[in-house]
Amino acid sequence: MSLKSERRGIHVDQSELLCKKGCGYYGNPAWQGFCSKCWREEYSKARQQQIQGDREFAERLQREEEAAYASSQGAPSLTFSKFEEKKTNETKRKVQTVKKFFSPSSRGAQKKGEGQEVKAPSPSISRQASLETDRVSKDFIDFLKPFRRAGHEILKQCRAFIESMNNKKEMNIEEQSEYVQDFYQNIVDRLQTQSTFKGSSERIENVMDQIEKYIMTRLYKHVFCPETTDDEKKDLAIQKRIRALHWVTPEMLCVPVNEDIPEVNDLVVKAITDVIEVDSKRVPREKLGCVTQCSKHIFNAIKITKNEPASADDFLPTLIYIVLKANPPRLQSNIQYITRFCNPSRLMTGEDGYYFTNLCCAVAFIEKLDAQSLNLTEEDFDRYMSGQSSPKKQDSDTSPGFSQMYKNLSLISQLNEKQEQIMSGTKKLEKDLIDWSEGVSKDVQDIIEKYPLDIKPRSQPVAAIDSDNVENDKLPPPIEPQVFAS
Amino acid sequence: MATGGAGGGKTYPFKVVLLGEGCVGKTSLVLRYCENKFNDKHITTLQASFLTKKLNIGGKRVNIAIWDTAGQERFHALGPIYYRDSNGAILVYDITDEDSFQKVKNWVKELRKMLGNDISLCIVGNKVDLEKDRHVSVEEAELYSESVGAKHFHTSAKLNKGIEELFLDLCKRMIETAQADERAKGNGNSQSGGTRRGVQIVDDEPQQSSGGCCS
Repeated sequence: MSLKSERRGIHVDQSELLCKKGCGYYGNPAWQGFCSKCWREEYSKARQQQIQGDREFAERLQREEEAAYASSQGAPSLTFSKFEEKKTNETKRKVQTVKKFFSPSSRGAQKKGEGQEVKAPSPSISRQASLETDRVSKDFIDFLKPFRRAGHEILKQCRAFIESMNNKKEMNIEEQSEYVQDFYQNIVDRLQTQSTFKGSSERIENVMDQIEKYIMTRLYKHVFCPETTDDEKKDLAIQKRIRALHWVTPEMLCVPVNEDIPEVNDLVVKAITDVIEVDSKRVPREKLGCVTQCSKHIFNAIKITKNEPASADDFLPTLIYIVLKANPPRLQSNIQYITRFCNPSRLMTGEDGYYFTNLCCAVAFIEKLDAQSLNLTEEDFDRYMSGQSSPKKQDSDTSPGFSQMYKNLSLISQLNEKQEQIMSGTKKLEKDLIDWSEGVSKDVQDIIEKYPLDIKPRSQPVAAIDSDNVENDKLPPPIEPQVFAS
Repeated sequence: MATGGAGGGKTYPFKVVLLGEGCVGKTSLVLRYCENKFNDKHITTLQASFLTKKLNIGGKRVNIAIWDTAGQERFHALGPIYYRDSNGAILVYDITDEDSFQKVKNWVKELRKMLGNDISLCIVGNKVDLEKDRHVSVEEAELYSESVGAKHFHTSAKLNKGIEELFLDLCKRMIETAQADERAKGNGNSQSGGTRRGVQIVDDEPQQSSGGCCS
């Protein structure tokens, strides 16, 4: 008996086990409820559709390019080579999109999806990536359009470069970095000789930014945190290190930022978000942009607290504190990637370069941090590091994060109470409404019963309407018309 | 950076790093130079850690980027990351503070060891408005500066004294170095050389040696 009921507990209807398509075979959740044969059919259909979509997109891009350069290509002798180039490009692109599709999941994408389902077929991830790449290509082409011949030249060079980079995958990362840097340098040199750009460093910089964006979006997958290096190991090491240093307080670092001021607290949160955001960008310059944004928020926070412009003495400790709080993902990989592949003019002399250097300093400091650098005794430092005690214990009540949390908690419970009140009120109202309508109908019923509507039949004829009026006789006689003789 | 190669309208991009102990007045010095303000409520910049200034010296355009560094002792080991690839260094000490002058000496040693003579050095005794509390003798400072191939200046950010001269002289010397460098390497090559150096920002080797230096 008990066996039977147990069985009933896990009983699944026969029809649920069968293939969704209804072919009579058993389905499998791994194939989304299809049987193997139907799943293959369904999947290949979807795949065909996507390939078709990719191809159409690529072709549309190609057409746009063609249109853009048809106007700038005056010489007829170029048409044939152009056509040839287009053809090879097209086939290459097709091969690429198909390849992209089949590679189960790129390294980068796989990491992004950490914790999510990785085993599921991931066409959507690689497709997303390819979409982004296509969008960047399109933007790049649009950007180059106004430069006509020169623009076309640049596009050709970049394509050739990416192609040759793809053939050099066996190179180690430093060589690849060198190769990219040489390419930047060559392009700059070449641009400087061209009349379109001569003497306009701003325009050249702009072009260089776009070139960087274009080629690095395409190369990102292969050159970001490559397997051949120990970047990943370093990432994990610094992450672990930062986690172990969770007990470091702003006071120990002498951070000149007062987080009790709500405005400052907001800025700190923003800075943390920015430094985490670095990992989400693909282009080195955009990653740098996040670092700069983070730094600006820090400066604002310092300015509000101290009411004077921030110096490096203030800035670096705060940045270190922000990095410790944020524990940005793949920190070392990102730093290495920016260092290797960013346009050097940005990295060396610009403001972005300064902030990036500070970030590198912050990381170096965190790696080497010891008791002395926090003004602690060795014993205290060791105790905190081993987790035996925590300096935060005494002031956990005063820490703004905690007090904010408690405030929020009490607010939530208040809201909960109110919600419950409202719910019971609603229930009551509902009941009242039902009662009321019942009451009304009951009342109506009672009244109807008490005073039943009694329609008397009309018994007398209409003609006799005045007949029984006894007083008729007392009425004066009707006025009769009198005729006056004239 | 972007405009190099062809002569004529060339702009020299110089990186100048600002070293010195905390509280010697590094920040005041650059704020006075770039904003001409001292302890002022109306200072417009958000920060004084990275400032730029465009100059025209004898028809040569110069674009200097001034990199402030954290002066606290605990950050000393990070120095090499900051001063890598810089064309000039301003080493600031407080004339009323003997210790800060010792720090400058340490910096000089380190810079010469790491960057050789590629870098133009200026040693700056700040706060001359506090002359009566002077603890670093003028002769000692000037003799020392000469011995390490650096120029010595006395400045006061408060009174705006000696700051223009300091930067002007530094720029002139950096131009000379850059020109000599160009001549030596031939036109254009110098730039790619510079690029190559800039590529490796994170690199353990100099840090280790600096650690050895300060321990």
